[in-house]
Amino acid sequence: MLKHLYDTDCVTWSPQGKLFQVEYAMEAVKQGSICLGLKSNENVVLCSLKRQPSELAGYQEKQFKIDDHMAIAIAGLTADARVLCKYMRTECLEYKYTYESHHPVGRLVFKVAEKSQHKTQSGAKRPYGVGLLVAGIDPNGVHLFETCPSGNYYEYKCQAIGSRSQAARTYFESWFHLFEKSTLEQLILHGLSAIKKAIMEDEELNEKNVEVGILGKNLKFTHLNAQELKDYITKLDTFSPNSQIQQE
Amino acid sequence: MIFNPEFSAQQQHTTSPIVTGGSVIALAYKGGVVVGVDTLCSYGSMADFKNVEKIAQVSKNTIYVSSGEFSDFQQVVRELAKIDRSALQYDDGVHPSPRDYGNYLARLSYKRRCKINPLYLQNVIAGFHNGERYLGLVDIYGTYLESNFVTTGFASYFCKAIISNYWNDNCTLDQAKQVIRECFKVLFCRDCRAHDVIQLAYVDEQGAHLEQPERVETKWDFSGFKNRANEKLHTQ
Repeated sequence: MLKHLYDTDCVTWSPQGKLFQVEYAMEAVKQGSICLGLKSNENVVLCSLKRQPSELAGYQEKQFKIDDHMAIAIAGLTADARVLCKYMRTECLEYKYTYESHHPVGRLVFKVAEKSQHKTQSGAKRPYGVGLLVAGIDPNGVHLFETCPSGNYYEYKCQAIGSRSQAARTYFESWFHLFEKSTLEQLILHGLSAIKKAIMEDEELNEKNVEVGILGKNLKFTHLNAQELKDYITKLDTFSPNSQIQQE
Repeated sequence: MIFNPEFSAQQQHTTSPIVTGGSVIALAYKGGVVVGVDTLCSYGSMADFKNVEKIAQVSKNTIYVSSGEFSDFQQVVRELAKIDRSALQYDDGVHPSPRDYGNYLARLSYKRRCKINPLYLQNVIAGFHNGERYLGLVDIYGTYLESNFVTTGFASYFCKAIISNYWNDNCTLDQAKQVIRECFKVLFCRDCRAHDVIQLAYVDEQGAHLEQPERVETKWDFSGFKNRANEKLHTQ
């Protein structure tokens, strides 16, 4: 396939019906470090692996609070993520100013998707190089969405994006039937177990390179602090999904 | 009138209302909220339009009434309908709650007040959502209040005593309606711009119910009127 003939800009289709620029943007998402989300009837948990550019540097944050009831985890170009984050925060504030209530989650994801699609249909623009996992709670229930540079968005029970995310997704496929009725603690342990599947052999999870954010119907979005992360990572050794089945 | 080109260049501001609606009274009862308003639109001191249905159902579980400039009321009804319609565009099953409408109207009124071109209205939004009653008042300045009972116009002066003596927020629907009817009886006697035909509407967990206009009971067969005691003094 002579890709180079059709991949210069967003306004050129390939004979196979692909927009290569958009596909390349999705590659940028796959190169980002892994982040995942999973939800139960009451809570949503976001887990991400933070990258450290060098030993001298800090760890790159991957989760951002949008509003009390909504948060995102990002994979891909952090600068593009900042733009979308700012947009989402502004929309939530305006909605709150006008209606004194929380922006419905699906609606905001739809707005972000519209914005993303716009970038895929112009000669002078490039798509956003970032995928978001949007966790949120609204009167319609508990939500987890994924957005793509293509402008598509999907709702999930659990999803992982970024590098080596297939390993986490395989873990989810085996155990997601337990998530609906899981407690918050079980959900966090499932999330950390899934991330553990996706790390390299010589890496290990610790409270510095892992980020966990939690959201619930009566729980505003918060990050677990270093001590809580340490405790959960320790609990991982004795946690097995099988024990959850036996309890039920 | 001679057309004055200078006037069209200036921004016109609402300085005084022209066609106005009368007082609104709304009470919460056990299980919902009931609203009453008369069916008159006055043109100054003239009782011009006597059969106006002034209760707007803006969504399945929210109703909106106001007193003041009637054309502003009609415009606000259009604005509120826009919100519900835009919800259809997103197709996600999320519809504004009564409180969302109340706050939106408060923001709209405040914005207009800041431009010194107000929506010349005292607004009442009543609704029932997620098992909770809602009753909100937004005034001409954009002040926003939620309460168990709300009165606008002259009803605020004449009717609060009746309401506090005969109503509590746990009463039945019929009791609340009766209190409102009593209030409008008094208003018809004392408020020059009031009318004796009123319309009631209530919102409960099934949604909004608008009733047909009804005539308020009035009593004119006092012996003083019948015997025309005063007239004898003047026929000489």
